[in-house]
Amino acid sequence: MKIYGSKELVEDVISRDMCIGCGACNFLCPYFRPYRGKVAMLFPCDLDKGRCWAYCPKAEVDLEELSKIFYGKAYEGDPLGSYEEIRISRAGPRMMAKGDFQAGGTVSSIVSLALKKGYISSAVLTDRKGILPVPRIVTRPEEVLECSTSKYTAAPTLSAFNQAVKDGYRNIGVVGTPCQVLAVAQMRTNPMEDEGFEDPTGLVLGLFCTWALDYRAFEEFITSRVDVSSIRKVDIPPPPAEIMEVYTDGGAKMEIPLDEVRKLVPETCTYCTDMTSEFADISVGVLEGRPDMNTLIIRTQRGKDIVDEAIKEGYLVVEEMPKKNLEHLRWAAGNKKKRALVKARDAGIVNTSDGKRSLLRLAPKTLEAIIA
Amino acid sequence: MSNLMDNRKGRQHLLMGNEAIARGALEAGVKVAAGYPGTPSSEIVESLSRVAKEANMYVEWSANEKVAMEVAAAASFAGLRSMCTMKQNGVNVASDFLLHLAGSGTRAGMVIVPCDDPGALSSINEGESRYFARLVEIPLIEPGDFQEAKDMTKWAYELSEEIRNVVMLRSVTRMSHASGNVRFDTLPRDNVKAMFKFDGFILDQMEGLVISAPVDYKHAQQQEKIKKAREIFEECPFNTYTGPDRPELLVITSSACNLYAKEAIEILGLEDRVGLLKLGTTWPLPPNLMKKYLSMTDRVMVIEEVLPFLEENVKVIAAEMASDIGIKRFYGKNDATLPMVGELNPDIVVSGMSRVMGIDYKPVPDDYAQKAQLYATTKSPNRELTFCPGCPHRASFWSIHNAIELDGRKGFVCGDIGCYTMALLPCGFSTLKTVHAMGSGTGLASGFGKLGQFGFDQPVLAVSGDSTFFHTTIPALINAIHNRSNLTLVVLDNSGTAMTGFQPHPGLEKNAMGEEVPAIDIAGVCRAMGARVEVRDPFDLEETRNTLNELMEDEKGVKVLVLRQMCALSPEKKAKKRYEMSIDEEICIGENCGCDRVCTRVFRCPGLVWDKERKVTRIDEVICTGCGVCADICPAGAIKRKEV
Repeated sequence: MKIYGSKELVEDVISRDMCIGCGACNFLCPYFRPYRGKVAMLFPCDLDKGRCWAYCPKAEVDLEELSKIFYGKAYEGDPLGSYEEIRISRAGPRMMAKGDFQAGGTVSSIVSLALKKGYISSAVLTDRKGILPVPRIVTRPEEVLECSTSKYTAAPTLSAFNQAVKDGYRNIGVVGTPCQVLAVAQMRTNPMEDEGFEDPTGLVLGLFCTWALDYRAFEEFITSRVDVSSIRKVDIPPPPAEIMEVYTDGGAKMEIPLDEVRKLVPETCTYCTDMTSEFADISVGVLEGRPDMNTLIIRTQRGKDIVDEAIKEGYLVVEEMPKKNLEHLRWAAGNKKKRALVKARDAGIVNTSDGKRSLLRLAPKTLEAIIA
Repeated sequence: MSNLMDNRKGRQHLLMGNEAIARGALEAGVKVAAGYPGTPSSEIVESLSRVAKEANMYVEWSANEKVAMEVAAAASFAGLRSMCTMKQNGVNVASDFLLHLAGSGTRAGMVIVPCDDPGALSSINEGESRYFARLVEIPLIEPGDFQEAKDMTKWAYELSEEIRNVVMLRSVTRMSHASGNVRFDTLPRDNVKAMFKFDGFILDQMEGLVISAPVDYKHAQQQEKIKKAREIFEECPFNTYTGPDRPELLVITSSACNLYAKEAIEILGLEDRVGLLKLGTTWPLPPNLMKKYLSMTDRVMVIEEVLPFLEENVKVIAAEMASDIGIKRFYGKNDATLPMVGELNPDIVVSGMSRVMGIDYKPVPDDYAQKAQLYATTKSPNRELTFCPGCPHRASFWSIHNAIELDGRKGFVCGDIGCYTMALLPCGFSTLKTVHAMGSGTGLASGFGKLGQFGFDQPVLAVSGDSTFFHTTIPALINAIHNRSNLTLVVLDNSGTAMTGFQPHPGLEKNAMGEEVPAIDIAGVCRAMGARVEVRDPFDLEETRNTLNELMEDEKGVKVLVLRQMCALSPEKKAKKRYEMSIDEEICIGENCGCDRVCTRVFRCPGLVWDKERKVTRIDEVICTGCGVCADICPAGAIKRKEV
């Protein structure tokens, strides 16, 4: 695949508002920087090809190639991607003692265990300052809980990942949304063919995501309703609740209908085909009808080893996934994939030819099958 | 001892035009001189300030040109000869006072010296001060060489006292900044006591009130003064003619163009065919003198820089006396014999004059011109205007640029006048989007910041230097605060009027004469006005940028960020390195992905050099000032700084 550079990244992604602000291009060089939910290019770079383009999850993502590299097979278009097992899970007794979690606490439990047991040297997580998501590199299990609550606005988490790599960290654990996991996957394939490249990740933990909110739009939306400095926690309970809950100081809770919030979803999320972070080692999401549990998808051996250890160490409790839930998850993820691909096809940005750049590439047959 | 105080009559010294003007003022016994720095005028007040004690003078750099003119006028009113200097557009600033001063008249001799900059060599305009003389009805005189620069200055005081009004002596860059031999007269010894008299008859200019009213009376009196000046000009020794009695062409010129005209006549060998009338008194024109020379021939060429001021005045006078002198054919600006933009030089004048005289003359042979053009564009290194090594402005604009880009709302900066005007260019990351007059950046920002009701949502910034802040930024800032405008003013405080040669200003503790004076605190002034004020060191890039973003996001009124860091060329700082800089070549990323030469391609401090062969950055130790800023922009940490 031909690699382009920052000029094309700006042209195809940033100036077309396709950028979700995942942070993949940030801090690789002196030019791309995140700021309050947006990515800015400070100065032009005149190189023809760069990692910024190669890592971007919104520019020329070749699903076939990624699938071949990570799963040794063609991209089949399964709504949930390639996986070994699907379970439901929650924090185990040794983790429960440590604090309060959103949903089942599976992510915090796995990351804490991985840090404790040395599977990873550090973890790139997403903390927050007020309602602004702030990427953070942690090295001690105790710090994991400080980043535990869900954020619903897009976050430049990978900017911290890039800084961690630059600072010499290896075996890095990273927790990200599907777009971020996709960027990390592309990065792990060493697209620039750098000599001496080594995969810096120790664990890629993907989150389920249907959409994220544009930070600046959400900030404007929420500040007109509530004093931002008083916000303690924001939560979107699993369906069929259809509300966003904003908890403020003194225990007050405000409920905002999800339809109002959805207006703040950036256009770029509607082109996203991935609900469950298909190129992660482990993917974690909410479980419909069970606010105390998570859905847990184990995709790789590396993921399986850590989950097994977490169970053994009392950090994680797993159960079988109810069939009904699995069917519904497949249905929801399939819908997202189909909608996005139809839209991308109609916009002429999938499987383009004649040197035109694509958002995505996958086998034409698979594409047809998904959108049929 | 300065040459300027040499009291031996007849001695010659090589003086810059501005020094010659200063010497003329000293020979006239000037007691008070005030000005605002501005190229090409600054050396007059500078020269006088150096000899102020010895000459028993008071010399000041004023807050702006209007105040300078007022300070000088006060001396005149109190019976002391005075001088006021400024660059061309400074006259615009002072013009309101000048209009009224011309109406009230002066007492002791007062001369204002605007130095114009045709071709805008050190300006962003080529404004004309000559029109102000005609506009406010005061005499205009222009020296045509360096000796005249001194002699006419001295004479201007006699003229001023003869007509009891202010006189404008106008210079241009090539007169002010070139040098020539000047023969000295003696310096006066008289000691005058200053006293402002006001008890006399109300209309008595010398002992009553000094005002421009009653206007009908005063204006008529002023016009009598200008008539008197015209009569004096008829016999003025600074109007000279050289050439045949019946020339084919009469060249009328003044100022530095006198030198170009002389050279052109000589180059073209026209001494016997062309007459040269060099006018020292260019407004009002003396009619009898003009009649005498205009009668010599039917063809007249006027050589002057920029606008056809002299040409128009000559045409008016020629039209008025046409029945006596006949119809003339004119060559000059209006028929495009000479350009109406830019400064002249002997080549331009030669080519104009040769066309008028029907001589086939090429100042430069075609093949030579082509070769020169080729070499200039291909063989000589590309040297852009840039900030000095270690200049705080480079760091400041780096942060301003980045803050605006990160903010992402299409913010922009209204620029102002100083070295930092160059931030229009890549050296300042093309950050400025408007530049006009002194203080106008903040005035424009004040206006932009009030457009919210029309859907305007871009962050508005303005920059102002420290000297500019005192000059005319303050009223604009007051306007912005009072009218609840929404803007961020960045004061680039480098502790001096750096661009014009580091003259002191009201924010400093020493004045033009080196005396201890109270410094006005910029941040304190802004706070007192009610602005939110922050003070930072622009060399701290991260802190500066963070602060700027925070201020831009605070949409409640006027925010001021004072970026304080001394100019790299300031006497206190020059040649003192804070850090010893070096490059770790092993980790320099260079042209590769991850850097793409950010230091030598974008930041471009002249102290950083790209080594094309070895593909690494080098430090030019000779010019590096050791500010250390580049270490913070290097993505690899390859630029190292060590505390000296």
